[in-house]
Amino acid sequence: MAELTTFHYYPGHSTLHLLDARFKLVFMILISIASLSAGLAALGVLTFVYAALVLYIHLPLKPAFRELRYFFVLIFFIFMARALTTPGTPVFEFFIFSVSRQGLYQGVLVCWRLLLITLLGLFLVATTRSSEIRSAVEWFLTPIRFIPGKRVATMIGLIIRFIPLVFDQAKMTADAQKARGVELRKNPVYRLIKFTIPLIRRIFEDADKLVLAMEARCYNEDRTNIGLSSSRTDWLALLMVLCLAILITAL
Amino acid sequence: MSLSPGATGHLNGLLLPETGSVRLFNELVSDNLAKARQTVGMIFQDADSQIVGETVYDDTAFGPENLGLGQDEVKKRVLSALQAVGLLNHRDQRPHTLSAGEKRRLAIAGVLAMEPRVIVFDEPFSNLDFPGVRQVLKQIISLHQSGHTILVSTHDIEKIIAHATRLIIMKDGKIVKNGSPEGLMEVLEDFGVRAPCPFRMGREAESWLN
Repeated sequence: MAELTTFHYYPGHSTLHLLDARFKLVFMILISIASLSAGLAALGVLTFVYAALVLYIHLPLKPAFRELRYFFVLIFFIFMARALTTPGTPVFEFFIFSVSRQGLYQGVLVCWRLLLITLLGLFLVATTRSSEIRSAVEWFLTPIRFIPGKRVATMIGLIIRFIPLVFDQAKMTADAQKARGVELRKNPVYRLIKFTIPLIRRIFEDADKLVLAMEARCYNEDRTNIGLSSSRTDWLALLMVLCLAILITAL
Repeated sequence: MSLSPGATGHLNGLLLPETGSVRLFNELVSDNLAKARQTVGMIFQDADSQIVGETVYDDTAFGPENLGLGQDEVKKRVLSALQAVGLLNHRDQRPHTLSAGEKRRLAIAGVLAMEPRVIVFDEPFSNLDFPGVRQVLKQIISLHQSGHTILVSTHDIEKIIAHATRLIIMKDGKIVKNGSPEGLMEVLEDFGVRAPCPFRMGREAESWLN
């Protein structure tokens, strides 16, 4: 469960909290796209802006980084892959491996971008109620005929709600098997099968109960919308984000 | 108050009878499922799989939103339901972080916001510690006092019997006994339900709230 505790809404009244979720989604997409091609200088500017935002919304960075530890492993692999495969002036060589100056530069750049985009996602989740994100997604999907916006929005909500339960279920299953000495079995395939089948079965059973509970509360697709309203601040923020995106691309 | 191994689903049309019919306030349940579900709110045994919202507030709003009520009405109902179960201060919390007793109270709030006339509880005390049982029991009693008809389906009648006004014993989907709780104490154990401890010791049933 601990893996999921930072990525959630922190109630607050900052400007970032009060912005319309639709705008925030657009901001996230704009800045993500802009930072995909950002150079070192632009990333520096972005890092500065993000640091200010972290302080502004009082985001608890320490637990966030602790929970992102597996993500850092991934980042490290990406860095190594870049460093080892990009041809250029070698910095040091070991057997057949050679790390080039260009590789190191590329690696740092890619990882820095990925980290900043992750942080951007964290900002969105920390300052926006998931029901607002859901409504915003629904709003953007409504004009697209062949996608049932309301259904997609409900599914997003249910996924967010049920991920922690699936983790709990996985932990319970694992504990129950440890209690009966599953660790003595060295065959990972055997352990995986014995773990996955009961877990999946339990999840499907829970899903059945969920369907009943939703039906008991009259679930249908013709539901009340959560009101989203934009104000002058939102448009002002959009202007600022556009400027930032242009600045990043230009640098 | 009733006692039935898992037959409450018929009341609000989650299950439809293969033979015969179910009537609710003189109307066939199968004629208007949505109305039946609004009239009879159900609190399931497993609160975790009943809670669908990402926050306490969202979950309580799920029912009223399904009824297509206006935003202001939804908000009003949610706040008063959360107030009634004492979870108003937890409204931004994620359901996962609540205690078992609080989760069950949230499930009650979710049903309450739909303004039902009858509330059905399926094994409301399972998996709860003593304070949890008392929280839920207090809630059930206050719902009864505010004019709701309460149906509790349970094998664990000791916790609720002191407050019950009627006891129905069901077996194989049929009502086998229907009467005052005191009158039926003698036969309880013939139907696989342990009689409450005070009764076995020759005393009156005692509330778990005392």
